[in-house]
Amino acid sequence: MEAYIVKGYRSAVGKAKKGSFRNFRSDDLAVRVIQHLMADTPELDPKMVDDVIVGCANPEGEQGLQIGRQISLRALGKEVPGMTVNRYCASGLETVSIAVAKIKAGMGSVYIAGGIESMSAIPMTGYKLAPSYEVATSTPNYLAGMGLTAEAVAAKYGIDRTMADTFSAQSHAKAAAAIEGGKFRSQIVPVEVEQVEVKDNKRVSSKQIVDTDEGVRKDTTVEVLGKLRPVFDRKGIVTAGNASQTSDGAAFLLVVSEEIVRQFNLQPIARLAACSVAGVDPLYMGIGPCAAIPKALASAGIQLKDIDQIELNEAFAAQALAVIQEARLNPEIVNVNGGAIALGHPLGCTGAKLSIQLLNEMRSRNQKYGMVTACVGGGQGIAGVYELL
Amino acid sequence: MKRRIRKAAVLGSGVMGSGIACHFANIGLEVLMLDMTAELAQQSLKKAISSKPAPLYDKNYAQRIQVGSLEHDLNKLSDYDWIIEVVVERLDIKQQLLERVDAVRKKGTLITSNTSGIPIHLMAEGRSDDFRKHFCGTHFFNPPRYLRLFEVIPTAETDTEVVNFLMHYGDVYLGKQTVLCKDTPAFIGNRIGVYAMAKTYQLTQRLGLRIEEVDQLTGPVLGRPKTGTFRLGDLVGHDTAVNVIQGIRKNCPNDEQAAAFEIPEYLNGLLQKGFLGNKTGQGFYQKTSEKDANGRTVVLALDLDTQTYRPSERSNLESLKLAKQQDDVQRKIKTLFNHEDKGGQLIRKSLAGLFAYAANRIPEIAHSIYPIDDALRAGFAWEFGPFEYWDIVGIKEGIAAAETEGEQIPLWVKTMVEKGFTSFYKREEGVKKYYDIESQTYVPVPGAASFIVLDNYREQKPVFKNSEVVVHDIGDGVLNLEFTSPHNSLGEGVLNGINETIQLAEEGDWNGLVIGNNATNFSVGANLMMIAMMAYQQEFDDLNYAVNMFQQTMMRCRYSSIPVVAATQGYVFGGGCEMLMHCDGAATSAESYIGLVEVGVGLIPGGGGTKEFALRASDAFFEGDVMVPTLIEKFKTIALATVATSAPEAFHHGYLQKGRDVVVVNRDRAIAEAKKKVLSLAYNYTQPIQRKDITVMGRGGMAALFIAANELKLGHFASEHDIKIAHKVAHVLCGGDLTGTQQVSEQYLLDVEREAFLSLCGEQKTLERIQHMLQTNKPLRN
Repeated sequence: MEAYIVKGYRSAVGKAKKGSFRNFRSDDLAVRVIQHLMADTPELDPKMVDDVIVGCANPEGEQGLQIGRQISLRALGKEVPGMTVNRYCASGLETVSIAVAKIKAGMGSVYIAGGIESMSAIPMTGYKLAPSYEVATSTPNYLAGMGLTAEAVAAKYGIDRTMADTFSAQSHAKAAAAIEGGKFRSQIVPVEVEQVEVKDNKRVSSKQIVDTDEGVRKDTTVEVLGKLRPVFDRKGIVTAGNASQTSDGAAFLLVVSEEIVRQFNLQPIARLAACSVAGVDPLYMGIGPCAAIPKALASAGIQLKDIDQIELNEAFAAQALAVIQEARLNPEIVNVNGGAIALGHPLGCTGAKLSIQLLNEMRSRNQKYGMVTACVGGGQGIAGVYELL
Repeated sequence: MKRRIRKAAVLGSGVMGSGIACHFANIGLEVLMLDMTAELAQQSLKKAISSKPAPLYDKNYAQRIQVGSLEHDLNKLSDYDWIIEVVVERLDIKQQLLERVDAVRKKGTLITSNTSGIPIHLMAEGRSDDFRKHFCGTHFFNPPRYLRLFEVIPTAETDTEVVNFLMHYGDVYLGKQTVLCKDTPAFIGNRIGVYAMAKTYQLTQRLGLRIEEVDQLTGPVLGRPKTGTFRLGDLVGHDTAVNVIQGIRKNCPNDEQAAAFEIPEYLNGLLQKGFLGNKTGQGFYQKTSEKDANGRTVVLALDLDTQTYRPSERSNLESLKLAKQQDDVQRKIKTLFNHEDKGGQLIRKSLAGLFAYAANRIPEIAHSIYPIDDALRAGFAWEFGPFEYWDIVGIKEGIAAAETEGEQIPLWVKTMVEKGFTSFYKREEGVKKYYDIESQTYVPVPGAASFIVLDNYREQKPVFKNSEVVVHDIGDGVLNLEFTSPHNSLGEGVLNGINETIQLAEEGDWNGLVIGNNATNFSVGANLMMIAMMAYQQEFDDLNYAVNMFQQTMMRCRYSSIPVVAATQGYVFGGGCEMLMHCDGAATSAESYIGLVEVGVGLIPGGGGTKEFALRASDAFFEGDVMVPTLIEKFKTIALATVATSAPEAFHHGYLQKGRDVVVVNRDRAIAEAKKKVLSLAYNYTQPIQRKDITVMGRGGMAALFIAANELKLGHFASEHDIKIAHKVAHVLCGGDLTGTQQVSEQYLLDVEREAFLSLCGEQKTLERIQHMLQTNKPLRN
């Protein structure tokens, strides 16, 4: 039984800690996106959803208590179950892949899959860094910080500071043009955010509609970026300016079986032709896509040249450049509307968010095959191939 | 009503204005700093905060400073308790501003002007009665946080209450040596200090000495800072210095030594070329990019006669060589003063001039001798003021030298000698007394009773003494233990001294013990040479014994039946920091630079310091706490050898603890405050019970710290050997190789700490670090 993507929506991506969603929980955000998604699909009764699959990279604290269930319960009712999936930055794509697989296996027919992350709420390494003593004493690099893995990739694949800063400036420029051109407008669910804050000893309440990604710096240049200091390695190249931004966001897609499409006369937009994951040395985490891409292409039965467009998550410019170089990707078709360096990287949400961006852009360009790929903490890569219908 | 200062306004945001604003913030005031525009004031503040040395004790204190414009925000001044004017040094501008201030200030508000040259009474002219009563000069020295002199200059109309208030406030709150001045040109500090500088400038050329020789002669060997005379000039800037010199020359035409203020030809030469000193890259000295055989930067010195630069040379003066051989600075000074070579002549002639000049300034600039000495010590970091130098070389010898130079000695000095007085100062029972000209008797220096200056106890019989400590009775049943070891390092003598003194205090009728001294630095840490000798020989049994003794002595500071309180200033490094942390409390001068720096010499804190951090981490844990972030914080502090740049900052690093340790802004008061703390603790003191409830995380905690250490390595913040040491730190902080979180005793942790310390003493790279430190005084990164 074939599985189809019917549609997908996302929230705008807020800047962590200081952006519009800084006090807005990711489960609250998810509820709004999912309710919008189902409201936009009146053909289906929300109770028909077999499962809500929520990707999340730090499912603890505000995102703990099995947040997938908390979201399904509130968004669609107590009858609809929910679960949480963690494959770090691949989570939001992995959930789509799980939904497709379940449908193909005949286990269900209507799924909501996607991901969330509030990096405002949860520290990058969680509240308690508690690694295995055996790992810490024998293979500490298995747990190297993400910034340092980017440095390792840069050193190994010859990516220098200027290349990284140039790539970042381009990411901002492309993202700014996309936002100005209104490219994301139709995929973003406007969310009303109330802020109640104390100003001059008085509680001041304000409400705003958040419908635009916040991370983009329209005027940034290679020169400006060149002034920033390396953050992780004092001899390194990775700065706050050529790394992805920490962000808050939620994104979900509706995945249904062929039978549901027929029965309710839905208009699916794409199918996930393949989705593969692969492992690499954790210290070179950023190169992960190079291992996953060939597997996904083989699984889809196509070649790299058949791919019309790629969303390559920009965890770090150093890593993205190394992947483009090593996997021989055509830079012209990668991140045509900018990437995470400009638009933000809400970890668990990213895979779903990039899928939605990709499918929208492919439709406007009338393309056939597209790919979402990302490196994954702990030394993995993911690549998903979408075929537009 | 008692005057209290809560809010202070600073008008003008230049280097002095923003420096003063920052120091006000340091002591906890709400500060408003105004300038032409709020933007300008904001920029100045930003610049000041990022300048080195830091003007704030703690960067967060910047929040205490608001900025605004003189144009729009002057009305706000009605809400301020002290308004200090620090705008450009021009009378008309100051007058205009003060007129506007007069219109808005609330009656009774303090209003002062920070000027170094403009007569105070001129600024008061035309102002309201209430303004004039509450107005005077207050002169900070740059940089205000660090330079210890604060001159208060009342006019004839200033209220006595205002003067008394500022004298006390300057001392206790601002932490300054506060000196009452008369409204005379350049007040006291600059009048005498600049005289000494100008006089030395002239003598150098006249005697045909080289400038680098003179810097050596007028540096530490004379009880003055390392910069000597010419390097100090380069530091201050010759435009600034010449301005002050010319100001005095113009305003004091009747000075009997007015000729001393003539600017030498060579100095004019530098001014013309724009070589103003360090700020222009060259002045008396010029640094080159070349290195000598020892890798040191080659520095050129100005030849005063040819006004060209030539390589600086070592001095061969016999006087200097002989002086350096003396182990006591007073003997060094005497040696120089009495020598016949050119070096001796320079010191004799310059001191002779200084004696005469200072003596003739009474009563012109001060009513008696001590304000002049106080001002010179605090403002120029001299160990001795003019009259104290005079006491060192002998009054009669000083008079003779002055008369040989053709200088006039005023009558009051001659009378004093005729009456049989042989010194300007004397010390009796811990009290410093000065010769009072009017009554012709010795009188206690006012306010000195609230200070405890250990030098004043020198003539008293110590309660205990060995080769490395001396213990004095500082009154009210309190003892003070002072280190006398080189650099106040902590070796066997100090450790024995502490143990014996505590025992003596416990057995006798003593209230408690202060461990403190008046040296520049409280202590640079354990005696590294002692450790090095045993480590090189790999005498591990001896090392184990020595480290154990160190640990047990630190523990004794806490676990005794009397309160033990540390009083610190300057460097409080390594073992010094461990001692501070083990006392029952501490009175730390704000300018205490506290740190566990052992990693720099390839070791971990082994005198209980690492144990103490484990204990403090444990005390910070709470029910449900994940503990790891606290542990990482403690770990990084030791592993990165973090030194706090002020006592307030040391609270953030966990070296000091709220409720236990206090900060004293005036470093001269640290021992007195420590004594108060001893007395308050002694009231119902019970010896604490050794702790057996320290929560340590074992392997789980170590794993997190190892990963944190690995980040430092990958990021090139730490070498392989740094990581090895960091792992030892982690090992001790987590209680060693335990399989789970549990509670352990202090002694158990001390044993783990000692074992880790000893294992590092067997590491070649640690030995290299120790050797490098002993040879160069700098840490080696290997």
